[in-house]
Amino acid sequence: MKQGAIFLVAALLLAALPVLDSPFVQSMALTCLMYAGLAVSWSMFSGPTRYLSLATSAFFGLGAYCTAWGLAKLPWPLVIMAGGLAAMLFALLIGLVVLKLRGAYFAVITYGLGELVKHSITHVEKTYAGTVGRVMTETPSSNVVYWTVLIIALLAVFTYVHFGRSRYGHALRGIGMDEERAATLGVNPMRVKLLGFCLSAWFAGALGAAMAVRWTYIEPNTVFNPFIVFQTVLISMVGGPLTVGGPLIGALVFSLLSEFLRLSLPYLYMILLGLLLIVSVLYLPEGIAGHDWRALWARFGRKRFGREP
Amino acid sequence: MNFYLFIDLVVAGLVTGGIYAVVALGLNLQYGLMRIMNIAHGEFLMLGAYLTYTMVKLTGLSPLWFIPPMMVALFLLGLLLHRLIFRRLAATSPTIEAMESRSLIVGFGLMFIAQNAAQLTWGGGMSGQPYLDEAVKFGEVTVAANRLLVLVVVAAASLALVLVLKKTLLGKAVRGMLQAPLGAMLVGIDTRRLHPACFGLGLALAGLAGGLLSMVYELTPAMGEPYTISALIVITLGGLGNIPGAIAGAVLLGLVETFGMYYTSPSLKILISYGVLVGVLLLRPKGLFAR
Repeated sequence: MKQGAIFLVAALLLAALPVLDSPFVQSMALTCLMYAGLAVSWSMFSGPTRYLSLATSAFFGLGAYCTAWGLAKLPWPLVIMAGGLAAMLFALLIGLVVLKLRGAYFAVITYGLGELVKHSITHVEKTYAGTVGRVMTETPSSNVVYWTVLIIALLAVFTYVHFGRSRYGHALRGIGMDEERAATLGVNPMRVKLLGFCLSAWFAGALGAAMAVRWTYIEPNTVFNPFIVFQTVLISMVGGPLTVGGPLIGALVFSLLSEFLRLSLPYLYMILLGLLLIVSVLYLPEGIAGHDWRALWARFGRKRFGREP
Repeated sequence: MNFYLFIDLVVAGLVTGGIYAVVALGLNLQYGLMRIMNIAHGEFLMLGAYLTYTMVKLTGLSPLWFIPPMMVALFLLGLLLHRLIFRRLAATSPTIEAMESRSLIVGFGLMFIAQNAAQLTWGGGMSGQPYLDEAVKFGEVTVAANRLLVLVVVAAASLALVLVLKKTLLGKAVRGMLQAPLGAMLVGIDTRRLHPACFGLGLALAGLAGGLLSMVYELTPAMGEPYTISALIVITLGGLGNIPGAIAGAVLLGLVETFGMYYTSPSLKILISYGVLVGVLLLRPKGLFAR
């Protein structure tokens, strides 16, 4: 109940942000919301199952290309829906086969498929459209884009919480702990995994479709950029993919960090990102939100004051 | 098809395949022995190439002088990385799958660090240092001397590694660890010393490939990535921990890519590699030579 109230207040405050009329704040909030949405949707599937999906860039890019192809012909909400559906369809198609693989092979093949889609689109555009990039005219206003991304991100948080509590959420966690045991207990692992994978793909695709108009000129290398999935995975892992608060904290921290460092010191920023990735995997395997800080505090306190807390 | 063109393509395919073999053997040892999915493997090839290039630029001597010390340096770097990162990772990972996924993320972290550090140190792309680029004639067939040298060195390195693994006691220990990690420990093989050594050896082999490539191609901070992908394809083709299989897979991939590029277009090279990777993973996830 209390969490619901906080969620509602935060949503209203964020929705009122354009009142400030500050392009800088709004653009930063947009980046933050995009990564929050991506990280929450990634955690929806990869958090409980522990399947490390690197297909986010592919979903995002497919959504963006739907916008590039359909913006002139379709109304804006339909464009967003189409972007999400395209990503979902792609997830369903590849999920049928790749979800049989586990561990590093699953990660490598989702990454490989993403690159395959990127290079295929580059090739198709070069051969049939003559150019690699596409220019978008008549884009919706920046406020509309902001509200769209906000709605998708809020929807992602809402879905994460409710999907996680549903029987499918429990089934996904069961698969993450022990897939064979879950299957023995009557879960159909393939069906549940496909559902989670496609659901998480919809959000990434819709976000790609919404964000595409921000660039006005898009090409495969910007919208299928592997950096998108790395940043998403990093945010979720550092924040903690097993809680909804984790990816949100992570998104806030990294959007601020990237806003201030990425443009002035791009290489140093990437080195810092790499170091953080390694440190978080080694020392915070459950993320900031999932880490047992109380235990750490207790240990620290005991050392300091020489008594049991 | 013209016979000489065919020979040209075969030689080009063998050179590419040989480089793939050396890179993949290192990754195969790391993944097969320790389940380290080192996605940054190609970055060590890039480091080897840049280090060799820098030394040649500074001294004006032949690159061949600098390849052995550079390999030693990378070996030591491998020991350090294993000590700092992978030992703890192995100790704290609850399952093999967790180890694989977590080492993959660490690999991406290493990749960011290495590529951007190289970008800061050496700047963006730069022309390589062509060495021995005159042509050698065998009757009607001409081959660039540096490519021939690359081919000889990678063949010698792969052969040496296979011989060490097959004929020596040390090699037997490594093969034992590949086949049965627990059994190897039970019969007294010192995995705590051999694991870091094998990890370092992987880096040194990647560095060797990089040093050789610096004589032929130009260098960029991202030059290692395609080789990581190729190495992944090769170990999937050859089967995990299967050393002769990896060599055969590497040569096969080199030939497929060269001929594929000739018949379609060079811009499709990446498409072909990723296509082969996805195809193999889906159709023969245990490798082409699995029984």
